[in-house]
Amino acid sequence: MSMHTSLRRTAATIPSTTTTILPSRLPTSLSKATTFICSQCRHATLLRRPKRPYTFTQLITLTDGSAFTLRTTSPAPVYRSTRDTRNSLLWNPSSSKLMNVEEDEAGRLAAFRARFGRSWDASAPAEAAEAAPKDSADAKAKEEAARAQAQAEQEEEDNLLDLISSFGQEENQGSGKKKN
Amino acid sequence: MAAREPSRHLARALPRAFAPSARPQAFIGRRNASDEAPTRRLSDQLDELESASSLTSKVSDSAAKSFDPVTRAKSRRAQLPRSRYQFRSPKYDRGPLHPHQPPAPSDPSSRLFVPGPFSLPRTEQTYNSTIASDIMTLCYVHTPPGFKPPPKPRNRPLRGPRGGDVLRLLRKPIRFNNIPKIERITIHSYVKQAAQENSSWIHVAGIAIQAISNMRVETFKSKSSVATWSIAPGRDTVAVKAELQGENMHHFLGKLIDVVLPRIKDWQGVKGSSGDSSGNITFGLEPEQVALFPEIEVNYDMYPPKMIPGCHITLHTTAKADKDARLLLSAMGIPFYGKIVQ
Repeated sequence: MSMHTSLRRTAATIPSTTTTILPSRLPTSLSKATTFICSQCRHATLLRRPKRPYTFTQLITLTDGSAFTLRTTSPAPVYRSTRDTRNSLLWNPSSSKLMNVEEDEAGRLAAFRARFGRSWDASAPAEAAEAAPKDSADAKAKEEAARAQAQAEQEEEDNLLDLISSFGQEENQGSGKKKN
Repeated sequence: MAAREPSRHLARALPRAFAPSARPQAFIGRRNASDEAPTRRLSDQLDELESASSLTSKVSDSAAKSFDPVTRAKSRRAQLPRSRYQFRSPKYDRGPLHPHQPPAPSDPSSRLFVPGPFSLPRTEQTYNSTIASDIMTLCYVHTPPGFKPPPKPRNRPLRGPRGGDVLRLLRKPIRFNNIPKIERITIHSYVKQAAQENSSWIHVAGIAIQAISNMRVETFKSKSSVATWSIAPGRDTVAVKAELQGENMHHFLGKLIDVVLPRIKDWQGVKGSSGDSSGNITFGLEPEQVALFPEIEVNYDMYPPKMIPGCHITLHTTAKADKDARLLLSAMGIPFYGKIVQ
């Protein structure tokens, strides 16, 4: 008999707990049989294979020579950038080299130089050097003349370097124009 | 007869009581007087149940003995076709109760399996080696040894949430385990001409976004009506979206920062006021800026030039505030300009 009561107790606790926890739901569960959450769908869902575009490995070479690989959809194996974080002013705000770079995207200044030469650029500092020896002693004047000459020579070298560098740039700009 | 009845109930109900049940139930030593009522008596309910179980049925001995797959395979002269040795996932998901269940998407035999990652992207390496530790150092708040926060007065209820109707994310102090990182990138493009003119706009936009993101795009129909653009909700497909995660995301980010953004003319950076105040930063690219991506540039002729879409790029970070997200993104190399709104 004691066995009977213990059994009765274990089985009867389930409805009693539901009444204590959720008293409001009890009448509905009594009136309706059961509310099933429909977890089984009657239709079948097609498992679509995910589509992925074909990707290649591309080597991206930045302007300072550093390179890294990338997976892209572009089939070109190597991408050489002409403008990136290494030579744009926004990413290198303190770089004096980039501050002095003239903005010549359209190639107008380059075209002017191709037509009229670079003597316009070279004249300004040379005049300043010539003006200096007038108001000083001869010895100083000689020294300064020598210094000015050295400076002028260096500037001429710079100009030559500019010519060399502008030669490459012109070609790049030409190719850029074709693309765009 | 009356004396035998309890034992009969016991035999039936005992395995039921100890069987694992879906509902957590405990043995509670409580009885209610109403349990004894004739309507709730357990014996009446149990009598209605079937006593026989379908699980007890046995296989016949002859069938069990004849099942010998090893000798059967050895007696076979030629091999079976390859497909017979290979598990193929079911093509359809027929619900959780169906006996043929497809394997998990992480299983290589699953139809939903996406292999990868195949590379360790540069931005990810940079993040792991330098940026993460830098951010943790920058966000470090020092408390001297022996410092204890002032104790909360006893019995005072917790303060209600600060702020207005919208509860902002709680920003916890940044430690080694919650350093903000980039979670995913969403590239979204709304092409209004797809509704006004024809669907070729959406096709071109989808292919362009796919090319720059290495991902197949999703298309969306318009939700709201824009009378001036003659867009009605649910009528036209007007938007494409690609969600990048993991490897694709890092490749896209590296490409965007190192190659594309510096080439944009007169670009000042991302506006300092952008962001949804929970660590996600959005900025937009114009069509001519999207055309600067190397993938589009390499076969620029493929795209009708006027149909190249602009897009919005959202960088979702795990940061809880825009300030942390900006710190992370500027460390990754995205410049910000203007008034920085925190």
